[in-house]
Amino acid sequence: MATIEERVKAVTARVLNVDPAEIKPEHYFAVDLGAESVQSVELVASFEEEFGIEMEEEEALAVETVGGAVEFITRICRRQGVQIEE
Amino acid sequence: MRLILVDRSKEVRSRFHPLTLSRPIWELRTGFTSLAEKLVAKTGAADVACFVPDYMAAAYRAKTAWPVNDPATLAGDDLLLVDPRVKAESFSVSPTGPSEIAVDDEGQVLYARVARVDLGALQTDDVGKFLSAAKARLPKANAPLPKWEYIWHLMLANPEQLSSDFAAAGRHGIEGAVEEPSAVRGAKKDVYIAPGARVHPMVVIDATEGPVYIDERAVIYPFTRIVGPCYIGKESRLIAVKCHEGNSIGPSCRIGGEIECSIIQGYTNKYHEGFLGHAYVGEWVNLGALTTNSDLKNDYSPVSVIMHGRLPIDTGSNKVGCLIGDHTKTSIGTFLNTGAYVGAMAIIMATGKPMQKFIPSFAWLLEGVVTKGFGKGQLYKTARTVMGRRGCKWTDADETMWDAVFEFTKARRDELIKKGRRAMQKL
Repeated sequence: MATIEERVKAVTARVLNVDPAEIKPEHYFAVDLGAESVQSVELVASFEEEFGIEMEEEEALAVETVGGAVEFITRICRRQGVQIEE
Repeated sequence: MRLILVDRSKEVRSRFHPLTLSRPIWELRTGFTSLAEKLVAKTGAADVACFVPDYMAAAYRAKTAWPVNDPATLAGDDLLLVDPRVKAESFSVSPTGPSEIAVDDEGQVLYARVARVDLGALQTDDVGKFLSAAKARLPKANAPLPKWEYIWHLMLANPEQLSSDFAAAGRHGIEGAVEEPSAVRGAKKDVYIAPGARVHPMVVIDATEGPVYIDERAVIYPFTRIVGPCYIGKESRLIAVKCHEGNSIGPSCRIGGEIECSIIQGYTNKYHEGFLGHAYVGEWVNLGALTTNSDLKNDYSPVSVIMHGRLPIDTGSNKVGCLIGDHTKTSIGTFLNTGAYVGAMAIIMATGKPMQKFIPSFAWLLEGVVTKGFGKGQLYKTARTVMGRRGCKWTDADETMWDAVFEFTKARRDELIKKGRRAMQKL
């Protein structure tokens, strides 16, 4: 199973149409990867689908970086009892 | 005699969604006035009380002078309890007289006239128990009593209601200002322009097929054509509108483009071009430029509406446009399908294609799929801003009411959000 970081990068790459190899944990979704507001919503929905979790939208949209998303999703997966490869 | 309006049945109320998510049925309009105003006028009641669902009681209390959900109103006088769906024009029951009750085929009490002397035999601490006891004890009235069945019936009856309300109002003539050159077609007795209303030059008011009533402080901008029957509410503005027959525009609206046989509850903006036909639109709605609804299918067959997000309901009419709940916003270029149901507090971002026929409350429709969007907190923030611009206040009671609406519309919305997530993976 791929790690959370790999899966977050894969989803981000698909939604934002960027090369996954170029995505770094410190990248900001908006500033560095060009995410517009609508794409932020799409990212949240796609992470929920990828990991089988439910995220509170305002908390999720407050996450700004790829690394922040990995940490946030890890916490949610643990809280919701979803098995993950860290 | 005290008139008591009762609107507590969840199932009945759902037939008037999405407008009744945030108001009792009697606040709905047809013609010039609300269903409550019609019933009060018909019964001549000076003392009025009401019972609404608990979740909206505090919010509604702030909007009315009537006692709301007060059990004390079930005692101390002759009572006439009425279901707001009862058509006022057909309600010929004497407000006072011996106790009697009328119940429809579904067991809903349409009215209960309870003489003061009989109150002791009924429990009076809860309106539900009161009505149950009344059903068990009071003699039944058997005369048929027409009632409004679904929300679109208000809109479809709007032209006739407008004409009868104009006659009942008994006003005609020009008390506001009409700037030349403007044209009034038809008889002057079929037009009323209220004090403070202003009609700019190059406006045509066509009353040949029905009356036109322009209420206080409304402003009609140049190149507008208003065809009667029509009612323009207080402080509303029409900006170069093709205003076809049968429209009721509530107070403080900004209307542009083309509109036909529609009811707009109030405080709504449809400033730009775009067609709204056979629609019922709530309050604090903003329709972006070019937002357009279809109100006729290509095969001219009856329009169906998906009221609860599941089974379509046949309206029996080949002319039904859209239903839009309070605080919903559409982006530029939004196309709404024939018989579209758009819930309250929804955000629609157009795709260039007609939207799906059911859009749940609190949905953020992006790329044609239902998402959580930025959440209800952002919607409340916007509502607070929008209301503040018109001198109205978003209150804690409003928020509590909308929180309840969010919860009871959640199940179907969540199903569609899940479906939307899967659809997004394929985009």
